[in-house]
Amino acid sequence: MLDKDATIVSVKHEVLYQVAKHAFAGDLEEKRDQIPFDIIPGPQANFRCCVYKEREIIRQRIRVAEGRSPIQDKENRNIVQVVESACEGCPINRYVVTDNCQRCMSRKCQQACNFHAITIMRDKAVIDTQLCKECGKCYQACPYNAIADLMRPCKRSCPVDAISMDENKIVVVDENKCIHCGQCIKNCPFGAIMDRSFMVSVINLINSGLPVYAMVAPAGEGQFGNASMADLAEGIRQLGFADMYEVALGGDFVADSEAKEWLEAYQEGKKMTTSCCPAFVTMVKKHFPQLEENISTTVSPMSAVARLIRAEHPGAITVFIGPCIAKKSEVIESITQDNADYALTFEELDAMFHAKGVELQASNAVLQQGSIYGKKFGASGGVTAAVLQAFKEMNAEVDAKVAQCNGAQECKKALLMMKVSKLPEDFIEGMACEGGCVNGPGSVKAEMQSRRDRAALFSKADGRGIRDNIAPYYDKYQISLHRK
Amino acid sequence: MEITICIGSSCHLKGARDIVAKLEKIIEEKNLTDRIHLKGAFCMGKCSVEGVSIKLDDELFYLKPEDIEQFFQDEIMRRVSA
Repeated sequence: MLDKDATIVSVKHEVLYQVAKHAFAGDLEEKRDQIPFDIIPGPQANFRCCVYKEREIIRQRIRVAEGRSPIQDKENRNIVQVVESACEGCPINRYVVTDNCQRCMSRKCQQACNFHAITIMRDKAVIDTQLCKECGKCYQACPYNAIADLMRPCKRSCPVDAISMDENKIVVVDENKCIHCGQCIKNCPFGAIMDRSFMVSVINLINSGLPVYAMVAPAGEGQFGNASMADLAEGIRQLGFADMYEVALGGDFVADSEAKEWLEAYQEGKKMTTSCCPAFVTMVKKHFPQLEENISTTVSPMSAVARLIRAEHPGAITVFIGPCIAKKSEVIESITQDNADYALTFEELDAMFHAKGVELQASNAVLQQGSIYGKKFGASGGVTAAVLQAFKEMNAEVDAKVAQCNGAQECKKALLMMKVSKLPEDFIEGMACEGGCVNGPGSVKAEMQSRRDRAALFSKADGRGIRDNIAPYYDKYQISLHRK
Repeated sequence: MEITICIGSSCHLKGARDIVAKLEKIIEEKNLTDRIHLKGAFCMGKCSVEGVSIKLDDELFYLKPEDIEQFFQDEIMRRVSA
């Protein structure tokens, strides 16, 4: 993967693969202690100081892959978990004077520092790390840009400032602030931050013989090369799932429902945001609570399809599979909302395919449940395009302006504007991942790598409209699309 | 107050979803929706224990669906009215 370190991805995959393999075989309980030795046979260490540390890291990763906290007696509720033994504590001091320092006469850095941490030595200015409070004034003041800001990658990637360090410089994620966007997981060069997994639970339920249904996110097209939704469904059935649904169909339901909601809000002059990105929704709830009532009451596409599956197959267990880590929090937070029972990532699905020896075959079989608009839900701008299409199909004349927020930073800016009633647009499309779900942290391929296959698969989709597509389901099941 | 119900596979098979539905019903009947928040949780690791793992704030209990009414009277009401 281009934007992830190949070695970390392979270590994480190896752990998920081993755990999935033993869960399918039903011998995880007996084999759990053996896995670290299978992955790290030794006697030479590969990346860390010794094999004992490497095996301990694997042990902690196994616990997270089983849905637990990495250390037995340090359980917490976070979805984003820090594998403490893997965290190197990044012993870097945030501000460092580089060789660009000209030892200038103005000494702006020294003047800017309120903590007397800067001394001008013979060759350059030097920052006393004991005194430095990491305020960044010297960094801003230097006329030569000679002071480097070396923020830890996890902290730098976090859009909501949820990351801090404990006294040993090990990362701590503040669950009160975390929106589960997964950026820190994606950006830690040691793979020390992981998302808890429902994978073992899902495999156990498959093994128990209950009807478990998969729902695959629209970002899935292109994630597994040229395998179409029909090919994915075939592979997923080989894993033991009863069947697979396209979440793009839920996208159609949501587009239609939000179009109706937006129309009402627009006439009332009320601003509104989308509700399908769980990281965005959590950002509103935790960081802009006064805007919570501006979130559309339409459920997410995942939730819509879960409700549809339960209507068609009473007693079904519903499992969302997508590129998203925040969906796991949506599942946990909305257990009373008739939402999906579990959520998995494409990484986890990939490990399950590997564990079961399933190889996806590109075939001529066709499965299209969502319209092309629903299928494009997972890219930035996709929700807006679908809602506008629904307006068109309703013959509604709405000149609505939408702030299409691409990535958490843009979401934050637009929400800030909305909070002070200065947002020029009428609606916010919030997607916490840059580029949309197609760049989600639980993907197996970045958008750049899946783009070509995605476009090829989309070109085969028929041109059905959103409302025609969902009308038969509405007539048959009368599913509610709103939060309870 | 927060009630956290384990939704791991083992608890699922022991009736976690029934417990959620029952709790939801009682909470609605007693008009406590504003005061009690139900939440799911990843596997709490107590799979071999009889009963579903449930946390009231941070205190752990193991319950069967049929125990819920009594449990609500004995434990939850006491905490809510406290």
